[in-house]
Amino acid sequence: MKIDRRSFLAMSVGGAVGTALTPLPWKIQDDLAIWTQMWPWTPFPPDGENTYVNSVSTLCGGGCGITVRKVGERAVKIEGREDYPTNQGGICNLCASGLQMLYGPTRIPYPMKRLGERGANQWVRLSWEEAISMVAEQLGEIRQAGQPETVACLSTRPYGSMPALLKRFMTAYGSPNFMTTPSMMDAYDMTLKRMHGVDGRMGFDLENADYVLSFGSGLIEGWGNTVHMIRINSKWKDTNAVLKQIEPRLSNTAAKADQWIPILPGTEGILALGIGYVIIKESLYDYDFVNNFSAGFDEFRRAVLSGYSPGNVSKQTGVDQSTIVALAREFARARRPLALCGRGQGTVPGGFGEYVAVHALNALVGNINRPGGAWAMPRPEMDGWLEPVLDAPAEAGLAKPRLDGAGSAAFPFAGQLFNRVPVALKAGEPYPCQALLVYDANPLFSMPGSGMVREALQQIPFILSFASHMDETAMMADIILPNLSHLERWEDVPVTEGFHRPMLGLAQPVVDPQFDTLHAGDTLLQLAAALGGTVAASLPWENYEACLKEALSPRWAELEDRGYWIDENFTPDDWSLAFPTVSGKFDFAVSGADLKTLFAMTAPQGDDGSYNLKLIPYDSVRIANGAVGSPPFLIKIVSDKVLKGKTVLVEVNPETARAAGFGEGDQAVLKTPLGDAAVRVHLSDGLMPGLVAMPRGLGHTAYDRYLAQKGVNANDLIGSVEDTASGLDATWGILASLVKA
Amino acid sequence: MSNTDDTKQVAVDDRDRVPNASETGGPIILFFMIGFVLSLVVGWVVFPKLLYSQKKQPIDFNHVQHMELVDEGCESCHFFREDGSFSGAPTLAQCIDCHEEVQGDTPNEIKFVEAYVQKDREVPWLVYSKQPQCVYFSHVAHVKMGNMDCVTCHGHIGESTELPIYEQNRISLYSRNIWGKNIGGFKKNTWDRMKMDDCAECHVREGVRQASVQTGKGGCFVCHK
Amino acid sequence: MKHSGNFGKPKRYGMVIDLDKCTGCGACMVACMAENNVPFKEDESKKLDSISWLQVYRLTNGKPYPDAEVCYLPRPCQHCAGKHEGHSPCVSVCPATATDYDQQTGIVSQIYTRCFGCRYCMGACPYHARHFNWWDPVWPKGMEKYLNPDVSARMRGIVEKCNFCFQRYQKATEKAHAEGRRDLEENEYQTACTQACPAGAIIFGDLNNPKHAVHQIAKPNLKKGGQPQNPKAFRLLEELETNTKVYYLSSKQWVQDAIHKPHLLDQKEAHH
Repeated sequence: MKIDRRSFLAMSVGGAVGTALTPLPWKIQDDLAIWTQMWPWTPFPPDGENTYVNSVSTLCGGGCGITVRKVGERAVKIEGREDYPTNQGGICNLCASGLQMLYGPTRIPYPMKRLGERGANQWVRLSWEEAISMVAEQLGEIRQAGQPETVACLSTRPYGSMPALLKRFMTAYGSPNFMTTPSMMDAYDMTLKRMHGVDGRMGFDLENADYVLSFGSGLIEGWGNTVHMIRINSKWKDTNAVLKQIEPRLSNTAAKADQWIPILPGTEGILALGIGYVIIKESLYDYDFVNNFSAGFDEFRRAVLSGYSPGNVSKQTGVDQSTIVALAREFARARRPLALCGRGQGTVPGGFGEYVAVHALNALVGNINRPGGAWAMPRPEMDGWLEPVLDAPAEAGLAKPRLDGAGSAAFPFAGQLFNRVPVALKAGEPYPCQALLVYDANPLFSMPGSGMVREALQQIPFILSFASHMDETAMMADIILPNLSHLERWEDVPVTEGFHRPMLGLAQPVVDPQFDTLHAGDTLLQLAAALGGTVAASLPWENYEACLKEALSPRWAELEDRGYWIDENFTPDDWSLAFPTVSGKFDFAVSGADLKTLFAMTAPQGDDGSYNLKLIPYDSVRIANGAVGSPPFLIKIVSDKVLKGKTVLVEVNPETARAAGFGEGDQAVLKTPLGDAAVRVHLSDGLMPGLVAMPRGLGHTAYDRYLAQKGVNANDLIGSVEDTASGLDATWGILASLVKA
Repeated sequence: MSNTDDTKQVAVDDRDRVPNASETGGPIILFFMIGFVLSLVVGWVVFPKLLYSQKKQPIDFNHVQHMELVDEGCESCHFFREDGSFSGAPTLAQCIDCHEEVQGDTPNEIKFVEAYVQKDREVPWLVYSKQPQCVYFSHVAHVKMGNMDCVTCHGHIGESTELPIYEQNRISLYSRNIWGKNIGGFKKNTWDRMKMDDCAECHVREGVRQASVQTGKGGCFVCHK
Repeated sequence: MKHSGNFGKPKRYGMVIDLDKCTGCGACMVACMAENNVPFKEDESKKLDSISWLQVYRLTNGKPYPDAEVCYLPRPCQHCAGKHEGHSPCVSVCPATATDYDQQTGIVSQIYTRCFGCRYCMGACPYHARHFNWWDPVWPKGMEKYLNPDVSARMRGIVEKCNFCFQRYQKATEKAHAEGRRDLEENEYQTACTQACPAGAIIFGDLNNPKHAVHQIAKPNLKKGGQPQNPKAFRLLEELETNTKVYYLSSKQWVQDAIHKPHLLDQKEAHH
């Protein structure tokens, strides 16, 4: 038998026919089709039992109730908790992105020590025992040397058990330098103290107000509790309450307001005085309140009438006289009018005079401690703890003045002035800072004048960070003892920012710790134990949970059961009891302050005549700019009119841009006395001429590739300006110019 | 004239071959048959063996033995959660109720307790009927609302004393049970195959939400996500 | 057992969005991305290739300072019914049967594994509601843990869009089935954006059901292609007769006028 070409052909044909009669071709085709439809590298999230865990978000000061959906052990979605009194099911964009923070690559996975230069982001892993003993040794040496006051501690939130525990640690250690990052609430605290005579916090019954004058407050952008404020805005639409937004830029709040009143930046307080002028002049004020429950009205009246006529005010503020008069009449005639201030999110307080001027309007119309008005509220206290034990070195340290000068003769009413610390450190007054403990704060990024802050931090020999995420300040640290993430830890969350009911939420762990991290409370207790002596005796708890339970003991059961505690029936004191001042009345004269100086506008930095524009920062509702950086989802929803590629767009009025020769999207260099930055120009009819507006929260150098190196940090270009009357940071912007790139 | 010669030569050759044709026809058919049979063998026997990888379940589970001990049949272990979702393969937490300690002395039992229970590790069961990610399947719709038996789709797995080998398609990564054990895709029983057509067949027959504008049959989102 | 026709009256799930209340905060967009496994990449500022099922547009009245006004407009998929139920612009051009109109719910579905990426539907959609995956999604290490198992992750080369969180309908239906019910209560099926909106500006429900808030507010005239009878309500590009299921409310005339101009929607802008 000869095997030739034909035989092979025959076999192939047979093979082809045979193959066609097998499932092989059809099956392979089907499988390949499936393969192309479902690449094996496309993630296939595992399913499991669905559970829902209630907690409270600590990502911002709002403290919203959240419900986290879990599938098996994975947290898959954060939603607003429907029965939570403040947010009632709503959620903000930051909180909704929270899982990207929990699981994201910016988490600090274990305790570590710096290698190489500060900020070089090179670390070596430490065990917890090593790390704690290293820190304890450092702090122990400083204390041993009799300089405990040279250790400072910074937190973002002033209230709650964690700030209280840090403060207690500092007290027992012997340092008066527990500080929180500046906020409008500092200014409001001062306002309460000096006008009401109350040591407390300000609350606003916004729900029941029917006419709101907002002097630049970003009610939608994150002033107070974001979600609560947006809910209230909707309620105002339903009840036809009126919102007048006074600010230079057409913000989201201005867009939702019934009227946007553009005003020259920094003159908001002056407008308030102009409105006060009309109210006084036309006798539109509340006679009962002013005559029977206030003191110092004559001084106030004299100060206002002497310089704040609508004509004068119009010139200074750029607001029409007729508008000033109309606002005054509407405000005074409304049933429950309310005036608010604190620019944007209120992260930079502004001058104290502004607060006095604006709050005086509430007093003029008698809307103090009344429905729809401004309420003096008690501060949340940690009533379950005993007093800390102090030894002689602690007593001596505590007797020293504070680094920031708060409570000193110059600033007797200030609680804290962290904005003054960089200047103080530079001057070496009153003493150098040897160590800084940073908890839940990122001052290097979030405070105006970041260059100065960086210099200050460089001067501090030892920085300890409790950060959960690698932010700018953590990158400057010498040792990081990473805290659990916001969804892994217990924490009490007092709802304070402007809320008008005493309320406390309880954050609880939603998932098990994902990394080798420890609750900062536990870290602190271990540090105290390692330091020994009275420090250990003052922080005697076995763990943070025990300490928290004790702090909240009267309410613990309710907190654990319901997740929050609220005093629904809280009402502020009646006028006759409300003002523990010397006179027992509301004090228009601000406890003897020189009103004329107080009301003077704060001049911007660096007026050498070479700048023709003013740069104002603005808070965007879509960019996080506090202790937490924007997660990827947040950056994703930022407009391409704000961020394009890696370049930030600054808003400029078309008229101003044209005069300087700029069109839409043009590249430019923005110059201020503090530095230059490459930007693009976005023409906006929603900005006063002569201004340049830049969002806060961009220009990160830390975090991941989704956030870092995008845009410019406005705080690099805008410095801190001290309010001489109060020591508060009165910055509202800076002189600037735009030149061709 | 060489052309003529050549033609002749060819003609001669042809003539020579004619008687041989019947002799050589055999080998050609033979080769055809060899190719034919070989490819059939490859297609029906070798190909399925190559196409599927075989995996043994981590623990050889005896359904019969467990069925004797429980009151509610399949639902005793494969139950519905309160939200209507189906629990699927039991988790360790369910097994621990009885298997905290070693029961009896079978090697399987010892392995289960030592490797999983004591180490608090979930058993990585291989799920024969696992559908791809794009498929949405509601057990409760079929079992509670459609009154279907488990057997209709899953066959008599509940009457088995040991678990079959899990076979996975090397290309599509599907379990073999989706296409069916029969490589030809022929099915005799309702539980032989779990492809889209099998779902649609019943849905068309039962008139389940025949609301699609494109196909006039079931809406895509009835079974997809 | 036959149970044909036992699936209740056909629903027309739809939305009413109150533009007077919408603050442009973008929580809806984030909630949508978190719910639906929407990926993200390093640069999302090129809005043409940035996938966001729900887009909040920023409309301006076009007037110069100081008379400029701004209105925010969230735009999910409009779930067009077209001139006759199911004649949606996208469904009618899909050659792959990847997008479909479900007459039982009125939802325009998108099956990713079926789509081969021709993008006819993107060309046909007058609302820019559809997005193409130019790249495979990549989640940074660890982040894949938050993915929702009820929504399949997409692969490159396919089109995706808002589906009114249909997985939530499926989930709610499962629960109803477990309780022996076929029909859902209004609150049982709500989209992620509706649930998240801090302003309460988004309302979702069955437009066919007179008891549902969406029906009561929009007052759709079912004889006239669903046109709203509430004078404050309008739909996007009504003149195209797409018969959409997303109704908008605004008390401002310029907003009601602006939305008839498609070029305003051309600026793909997710505003601050």
